[in-house]
Amino acid sequence: MSEALLSVGDIHVSYGRVEAVHGVSLDVPKASIVTVIGANGAGKTTLLNAIMGVMKGKGSIRFDGKAVADISLEARVANGLCLVPERRELFASMPVEDNLLLGGFRRSRAERSQSLEDVYARFPRLQERRRQLAGTLSGGERQMLAMGRALMARPRLLMLDEPSLGLAPRIVRDVFHIITGLKDAGVSILLIEQNARAALQVASYAYVLELGKVTAAGSSAEITNNPRLVESYLGLGGASY
Amino acid sequence: MTPSMRQWLPPLFALAALIAPFTGWMPPYWITLFNYIGLSSLVALGLVLLTGVGGMTSFGQAAFVGFGAYTSAVLTLDYGISPWLTLPVSLLVTALGALLIGALTVRLSGHYLPLGTIAWGIALFYVFGNSSTLGAHDGLSGVPPLRVGTHAIIDPREYFVVVWIAVVLAIVATRNLLDSRIGRAIRALRRGAVAAESFGVNAPRAKLIVFVYSAVLAGLAGWLYAHFQRSVSPGAFGVNTGIEYLIMAVIGGAGRIYGAILGAASVTILKDQLQNILPWIIGSTGNYETIVFGAILVLVLETAPSGLWPLISGPPPPPKLTRAPDVPLPQRPKPAPGTPLLQVNAARKTFGGLVAVNDVSFEVAAGEILGLIGPNGAGKSTTFDLLTCVQPRTSGTIVFCGKPLSGERPQDVARLGISRTFQHVHLAPDMSVIENVALGAHLRGSAGTLRAFAHLERKEEAALLNNAKRQLERVGLGDQALSLAGSLSLGQLRLVEIARALCPDPILLLLDEPAAGLRVGEKKELARLLRELRGEGMSVLLVEHDMDFVMSLADRLVVLDFGQKIAQGAPKDVRSDPRVLEAYLGGVA
Repeated sequence: MSEALLSVGDIHVSYGRVEAVHGVSLDVPKASIVTVIGANGAGKTTLLNAIMGVMKGKGSIRFDGKAVADISLEARVANGLCLVPERRELFASMPVEDNLLLGGFRRSRAERSQSLEDVYARFPRLQERRRQLAGTLSGGERQMLAMGRALMARPRLLMLDEPSLGLAPRIVRDVFHIITGLKDAGVSILLIEQNARAALQVASYAYVLELGKVTAAGSSAEITNNPRLVESYLGLGGASY
Repeated sequence: MTPSMRQWLPPLFALAALIAPFTGWMPPYWITLFNYIGLSSLVALGLVLLTGVGGMTSFGQAAFVGFGAYTSAVLTLDYGISPWLTLPVSLLVTALGALLIGALTVRLSGHYLPLGTIAWGIALFYVFGNSSTLGAHDGLSGVPPLRVGTHAIIDPREYFVVVWIAVVLAIVATRNLLDSRIGRAIRALRRGAVAAESFGVNAPRAKLIVFVYSAVLAGLAGWLYAHFQRSVSPGAFGVNTGIEYLIMAVIGGAGRIYGAILGAASVTILKDQLQNILPWIIGSTGNYETIVFGAILVLVLETAPSGLWPLISGPPPPPKLTRAPDVPLPQRPKPAPGTPLLQVNAARKTFGGLVAVNDVSFEVAAGEILGLIGPNGAGKSTTFDLLTCVQPRTSGTIVFCGKPLSGERPQDVARLGISRTFQHVHLAPDMSVIENVALGAHLRGSAGTLRAFAHLERKEEAALLNNAKRQLERVGLGDQALSLAGSLSLGQLRLVEIARALCPDPILLLLDEPAAGLRVGEKKELARLLRELRGEGMSVLLVEHDMDFVMSLADRLVVLDFGQKIAQGAPKDVRSDPRVLEAYLGGVA
């Protein structure tokens, strides 16, 4: 594996007295996609929240060689980390463009207008809807806006929590297309995705999280061919339920 | 605090209240102070329910204390009625007053509601002050004391017993109410009113119940106040006092029963001690205590944002599950499989100029799984809202079980046997999973507020909770029953919503993206459950984007695009329909 951009070491995260993530370590190399696979309640979202600084975790988090475990959420954003949360969490009563501009809050005016152009180039649909209130967008547009808003901060690591959630099949393909495009543009991506098979197709490396612990890790090909994981998480492409 | 300690707290408290003043350890001054704390506790307890649990902030509670106090003062002074007989009258007058004011106020939302309470708090203060029957601003004096036989209860030590018996009874009644079917509905209102209404809770009525109950507690405090103070004047019932009661409830821990007493004690003792100590330190007679009190208040709210009681006692306990033997709930008769169940005919919904649902027609037969698919924004969730009458339709007809729906409210639809989950999860995160699920069975219980006070509905409550537990086990989350809903993952919360939707024993189940966020293994379990439900005669209307899931499960599909039906039929036919490929699946299926 090439040099790691993000390196998480033995991280523990608790809700009050209940520990949800028990000593997880993982690496995300530069300009690559890494995915975390696991059941509901395994601690995937909690792990991303701890890396982002939304929740407090115990353990080491190194980003681009710098320890970031003890710095604030805003400082992590300024360093180039960004999270697109599961529930999108848009500013529903603000227009699309204001949502985007807020995403670039920590950047200079020039950088911000450059980023806005880039985002509109990547998501032409958002430009069409720039004056519309975010709360009135359809599910697919919301996800695009959430990703676009994250990109406004010019992240070097983008963490995506369930980007295909609630999206129609056609839009899901668009979203995965965009994810690959971002990687090609040099952005590293840490991906949590219900459609694990699709995630493994774009990712180079995968971790399996079960009950708050990493129980398997390997290249996408190794994980895809693990029969136990196929049964619980991957299904057989075009599976029948 | 352990559960067994919690159980013994009220009786210990009651015992201490009866003995404390007669031990000789309490100086008379403190006994009197504690009498006032008891009176304030009653009002604060009402606010704990109204503001902390029900989410309705009131600055006007002091006025209801006035209702209770003046009613008893007038009746005993002018008509010579015994104070014991005026007690029910005082409470009734307060309740009627609250019913009238509440009917106008509780429908206000957001910051209008607190402003409303300030408005009538001020108005009532001037009503008390300007009414000559009530002695105007001088008030009424010479109110007779309470008597047992010929013995007058004037000694503060004796009155202490009366006040604290009232407080203990109020605590028990409030605790029982919260731990009941009605209480569950009340607790769910603040964070999930849409869902509560979809399962048959009459939200305005539930709010009014809380409003009147909290006023009655204030009225009780007023009655006690009148016969302790032996005089009544408007000064004690103004908005300033109302603000103080609210501070007590918030400082103690809004939403926590014992927080009311802790808050009342902290505020009363603090203010009193500041008045004693500050002149001694600062050596002047200015009103410094108000300034220092304000500063301390801010400090406390900064360090303990959810109040003092949670610091001592930790989070609220989860409900107990096995309190009474399980009795099966009555089952709803299911129509014969294959007979028409739901007929939607040219249903239409417009928002301004936008047509969200454009004359859509389809049918669901009994014992059928119908998939409703289409791109994001095609009108699927809006169709659900029309079926459940969460939104009124612009035109068209909907017939369910042979009965046309017209002008029904969501709670009426729930009663008819339609049950739903939501695309964006609607659960109360600060309630346990089992209670969120049990809310779904709201309509299968009938016990009202009065029976809840005395916990005379334990059999029914046990049946409701056991039913909720069974449904939770069916979706595979039986082991999470006592967790807080807020601690579950999004995929698990969707399953909790399905368990809740099963609680009312529905005929038609509407599922909005139930498999979203689930992994393959979890989806298999869900598919197995839905087939099992179909086997039991239930019909399912399913909105879902996972094509493998829908195609292998649904008997028929209806496809929407831009609010219009573009295709319907068997899954394999729909899958190869060119319009569906173009609009939804995107070329290759």
